[in-house]
Amino acid sequence: MNTPSGAHPGQLPGHGPASVPRPGGRPADRRAPGRWSRRLGVLLDRLSGAGPGPGEGGSTTARDLAVRHRLLLALSALLTLSLFVSYQGVHDDVNPLRTSSAPAVLSLDTALYALGQAQRDAGAPAPTSDFQKQISVAAQSLAAAAADDDIGGPAGRQALQTVAGLITVYSVKVQQSQLQPDGSVLREAYLSYATSILTEKGSGIQARLTALQRQQRAAVNRQTSFGPLLWSAWSATLLLTLALTAALLETQRFLRHRFRRRYNRQLLAATVVSLAGVGIAVLFTVWTHQGMADTRTLLDRPLPGRQIPDAGRRTASYLADTGFRAAAAVWILIGGVLLMALAETGLRRHIDDYRFRPR
Amino acid sequence: MSAHPGGPPTAVPGTRSRPARRLARTVTVVASCLALLAAAVVVGVRALGQEPTVTLLANWTGEDEQHFRRAVIEPFERKYHIHVDYQGSNAESQVLGADVEAGTPPDVVVLTGPGELAEYARQKHLVALDQLVRREDFGTSWATPLADGHVYWFPLKADLKSIVWYPADVGGRQLGQAVHRPDRWCLGMGSGATSGWPGTDWIEDILLQRYGPDVYERWVRGDLSWRSKQVKEAWTVWRDLVGAGGDPELVRRALKTPYRSASEPVAATPRGCMLEHQASFIRNQPAWQHADGRYVPSAQLIFGAPAPRAWEVSGDLVALLHDTPQAKKLIGHLASADAQRAWTAEESGFSVHAGVEPASGGAAAWHRSLALALRDKRTPHCFDASDSMPPAVRDAFAEATIEFLAHPDHLDALLRSLDTLSATRGLTWLPSVCDGTS
Repeated sequence: MNTPSGAHPGQLPGHGPASVPRPGGRPADRRAPGRWSRRLGVLLDRLSGAGPGPGEGGSTTARDLAVRHRLLLALSALLTLSLFVSYQGVHDDVNPLRTSSAPAVLSLDTALYALGQAQRDAGAPAPTSDFQKQISVAAQSLAAAAADDDIGGPAGRQALQTVAGLITVYSVKVQQSQLQPDGSVLREAYLSYATSILTEKGSGIQARLTALQRQQRAAVNRQTSFGPLLWSAWSATLLLTLALTAALLETQRFLRHRFRRRYNRQLLAATVVSLAGVGIAVLFTVWTHQGMADTRTLLDRPLPGRQIPDAGRRTASYLADTGFRAAAAVWILIGGVLLMALAETGLRRHIDDYRFRPR
Repeated sequence: MSAHPGGPPTAVPGTRSRPARRLARTVTVVASCLALLAAAVVVGVRALGQEPTVTLLANWTGEDEQHFRRAVIEPFERKYHIHVDYQGSNAESQVLGADVEAGTPPDVVVLTGPGELAEYARQKHLVALDQLVRREDFGTSWATPLADGHVYWFPLKADLKSIVWYPADVGGRQLGQAVHRPDRWCLGMGSGATSGWPGTDWIEDILLQRYGPDVYERWVRGDLSWRSKQVKEAWTVWRDLVGAGGDPELVRRALKTPYRSASEPVAATPRGCMLEHQASFIRNQPAWQHADGRYVPSAQLIFGAPAPRAWEVSGDLVALLHDTPQAKKLIGHLASADAQRAWTAEESGFSVHAGVEPASGGAAAWHRSLALALRDKRTPHCFDASDSMPPAVRDAFAEATIEFLAHPDHLDALLRSLDTLSATRGLTWLPSVCDGTS
């Protein structure tokens, strides 16, 4: 078994009463921790329930190492889990928002606008190509909305199919009216049937599209909101980051005090990994959430027809790169494993030195 | 080499003190609890998100839809914990056609047309209901076996059509005078995608009451020409009664008025019209409730017959397109006496289920007599002719009534077109639509 680098053979590396500095004391004593570190050590002792160390001449090093080892591993695991959950809580909704909800809102806006234009053209004295064009735009917009996976599940898809069927019937009735002589009673009648299909309260095309749009806007709001759960998760993550950083620094000081090493490189690397990882995750999350919030603000009101293509472009720009950031979540787990591996290797050799020590 | 040779026995490095073990245990337990909690939340959220669902397409919208949800759907959802995605549309045929073509039809459909259902059954889109519905619960005129011997639909709700509604304060003499005045008839042909069907009901009932169920059935089977004397006369009788091609304002009003609003002048002051040839369900409209509407068999009022030769009836027929376990449960629920009774309870329709009493003691007299007429074994019941015809013929028939109302002089051309269409190969005609006929 190797001799611990910071302990003199024949001397007891200790803490508490055994480590009271003495004139001409050991190197370990000369590197006694400062007030802050001592307090943290005492706190750790209290947390661990260790209380005061063994009596005069007793060693607490093995136990202290074990406590720090477990604490670092537990904090690393909890931080990883918490950061992953917090990060995913924001980024999980990015893809549905980017590929489904936001385009669906715009598609429904487009369909409603096109149908409004079509109804205006339906009353023209003679059949116009504009009417057919607007009907095509509406039908294609609905097809695009129906292609989204998250348009309200089976009910939403069924509702869209119903609207698509109604648009066909509406178009036929308008064409029937346009085939009748201008001013004839049949022309008026067919146009009134078409208008009722489009505008009937509750069951007309516009009412159904408006209801679907309301659902989609609610989905956008849900996906882009930073609610109490996310605040709690991120608060817990930041607290755990602070706790892990403090524990790593305290362990670093503890090791410096007990052993003749200025730095434990693994623990230093773990500190850098945890702080950098959390920092990057926070930065990515802020960027992503800003993009999502901008998207919500843009889509929160019905858009006039001419503004819809522009809104589509702006939405795409707000949510650009979010796919990459969402995919980065897996690096949190990899970073967590690395963090625990560093904590493990940083303390393992010291712990092994104290294992199976004969009395 | 030992780090602490001769070290004190009380503090042996490498041994675990009890408090340290306790901390380790605590951390392990807390971490495990957190992991379990997270897993439980994930599983719970996914389980809730995957509530079994059944999709249902029907033609009820507005208040009818609300009532259907309240009386029939919500009890089912509560009992079986299955969510029903309901879609209601008066363009149901077109919507269903598009859904079927797209390969995404609803699980269950409620249609008014047995002709359309027979077409879907022929195309193997329907699932036979022999194992799910007891035939004895519904007569064969309602749950009609097709040529393959299987039953594919059953009625959820039935209505009587061979009747004319009038306000309670109108006497017999006034009624007799009003019959031959077109402006006394309340008529609304508008019904969105299915506009024109109130006109088809008129012509069907005139033919049925004038020539009886045998001629009616030949016509519905496609064996009687549209240009036959009987059918042509039905059109002209209707023309004379409602003033087709007459007063332009009257015609315009009839064509543009939605059928639900046709009775509004009944409650107006001064009263606009007072007679409405319409199915039993129209009695729920506010105007008829306000006027305390009563009914008289159309045969009696229009033709002076002592009794109808047959009752024209219609029904909302339930069929199964996907035999998922949830859809089968819904079929079982809709075919149950409880669900059928729920309709009758609020006077929204009539059940012809053998296990449902025709009418409860508290129902109004008109309601009781309508319920009894639907089960009258002495008088044949014939299903709505246009609903029983192939969908293409049905739609052309409805369109023809609209054009005829404005231009009765187009009758020959309209009937010729209908004959040509009816002769198209590949159409599915029902073998029988009346009970008590061969």
